[in-house]
Amino acid sequence: MNDAVARARVRSIATTLAVALTLTLAAAAGCDSRREPELPSVQEKLRESHIYGQPRLRIGVATNEPLMGELRNGVHVGFDVEIARYIAASLGYQGDDRIEFVPVSTEDRVPALQGGVVDLVVSSFSITEERKKLVSFAGPYFVTTQEVMVPTRLKDNIRTIEDLRDPKYKICTSGGSTTEAELEKHQVKALVVKDVGDCVEGIRKGRYDAVSSDEAILAGFLAQYPTEFQIVDMPFGTSELLGIGVPIGDPALRDLVAFFLQKSYQQGRDGLSSPWLTAYNRTLGPWLRAEKRQPQPLDVPKLVDFDDKAPRR
Amino acid sequence: MSAAAATAAGGAEPPVVILPDRDRAVADRPAREDDHDLSERRARASQSFWTAVVGVPAVFSVLRLGVEAGGELQTTLLLVANVGPVNLLAGFLTTAARLLSTVLVAVFAFGAVLGVSVDRMPSPGLRRPLFARWMEITPAWFVAASFLLALVTWPLLYLPLLVPAFVAAFQLTPERLHERPGPRVLIVAALLGVYAWLLLPTLRDAWRQGESLALVLLVVPPLLALAIAGPLPGAVVRPLAPITQIAVLAMLVWAALPVISTPVLPLTVTTVAADSGATQDVRGHVVTTDDVNMVILQERGGVRYVPVEQVRGQVLCPSEEELPRHRLRIRDFHVEDSLLEGLGRRVRPVHRIDAACRAVG
Repeated sequence: MNDAVARARVRSIATTLAVALTLTLAAAAGCDSRREPELPSVQEKLRESHIYGQPRLRIGVATNEPLMGELRNGVHVGFDVEIARYIAASLGYQGDDRIEFVPVSTEDRVPALQGGVVDLVVSSFSITEERKKLVSFAGPYFVTTQEVMVPTRLKDNIRTIEDLRDPKYKICTSGGSTTEAELEKHQVKALVVKDVGDCVEGIRKGRYDAVSSDEAILAGFLAQYPTEFQIVDMPFGTSELLGIGVPIGDPALRDLVAFFLQKSYQQGRDGLSSPWLTAYNRTLGPWLRAEKRQPQPLDVPKLVDFDDKAPRR
Repeated sequence: MSAAAATAAGGAEPPVVILPDRDRAVADRPAREDDHDLSERRARASQSFWTAVVGVPAVFSVLRLGVEAGGELQTTLLLVANVGPVNLLAGFLTTAARLLSTVLVAVFAFGAVLGVSVDRMPSPGLRRPLFARWMEITPAWFVAASFLLALVTWPLLYLPLLVPAFVAAFQLTPERLHERPGPRVLIVAALLGVYAWLLLPTLRDAWRQGESLALVLLVVPPLLALAIAGPLPGAVVRPLAPITQIAVLAMLVWAALPVISTPVLPLTVTTVAADSGATQDVRGHVVTTDDVNMVILQERGGVRYVPVEQVRGQVLCPSEEELPRHRLRIRDFHVEDSLLEGLGRRVRPVHRIDAACRAVG
């Protein structure tokens, strides 16, 4: 009997503890259900960014780089432009009537961002330490290498970096580009013009003998003049990471752009069709020698968005 | 609790327990008197219940309309004129089902615990607590239905709490699983094993993310369920009975506030063309559309009449209250989704946020 009473007492203490703990947990759950999300949301970042409330998004693009950024019959086309459209739509600017494409030359990209002429630059913009001091980058969204394109008549003469150093050949590149610095590093004297397009025109008119730039840009010109040029694979040894330029004073916008690039990256990695893949297949894809994939963006912030609860599988 | 009451409430035979001699007096009350009293109370409770079923949603819905209208009388009247009673009620049930089931579950769990505790108390003079009386007169099917409603509407993260609540409401002691201790332990271990297998990846994620509350909420409740059935000591029951009543009432008010302020109409962004050709996005709830105007209750307040021919497009947008707080999933079901929501997302897995929803705040 005593044993039964003792057991009943232990039992009632256990029950009391269980009831008390359950009530505590229920109260904790109630508080948890009412608290704000810890991570910032996309919407919060948007409100922090300078573009919030702007009727149109101004994006700096190239207009004379076939396949990357080109103005054709009054319409902006190209891989960079498609990426720019995706980012703009993600930020709430869908359709070309909400986007103002601002033509920027290679050397104008940094000043355009610094001067507030554009909100973003999507124009074969290589991420470098030097530039990072002046503007912010989200990305990379494309990895390319530096190459040289020669007219068909010189395809057997210019094969190596050594050949480029030969003073009889006039090498052309665009000013303010990473290629300019890279050629200098390899002691190649280059003639610097405004855009790669000017180099290509110059070669066609006989002013220059070769042009050096990113593979993606050169592939665009090759697509334009497939019989006149050839790309020569040269071991410059560096890869170019193309990023989206953002004003340095707007980290919220940089975070958002990086977040949406990551979203596309994840879609592609899950085997789904991603905005990046669509842009690539429609523009660069058929013209590059090796198939490319979207690189993983760096420094992607963790943000909360409305579709976070959607099933992943 | 009398035998008849326990059967009515639990829908099963009461657990076999050895009562001390002095408690037998409570259990052996004249059965006829109890039956008569119970049936009368049931009849009265039934009336009150149906009054509450009709009245509470109606009052809540009207309150919600007032809040939705931003406290403006004319806007409230505009909403009253345009939101049908059926839509209003359906909208109320959609948003309030979680609250409703929580209150019912709390009442029944407390009722059963208090009921069984008062029955075993040495001095039978104590008046039975309110929730215990409610629990007694509620048919078992209604209690079960309340738990079912909670099962499908509670967020998965809080769902484990339903286990101790269910065990408490039906006073299911582990002894009910098997009469011998050996098989009983095996059954409990197997059940907990299955539970652990189901949750293991989530628990690992929660640990990695440092989500200690989520970890505790997922792990502890099933263990508490093992001990929660049974009477509480008299010293605990006496203060607990009034406290729980106040607590449930406070919870009701606290949880009802967000329900009252949840919008009645869906949130949309309407693209409107201005005379100059430019477009403007109007974020708000469409109250009604006729041949001439689309009436939009703007998110930031005020009603706007937009001529129908100026409307260029309209998209449905999520509201910021729907943003998740956790980044945990249980077998690909987000922990803040209920079972119903999780299943719904599987039926329509692609969720796209329209650009227009981002552009304006």
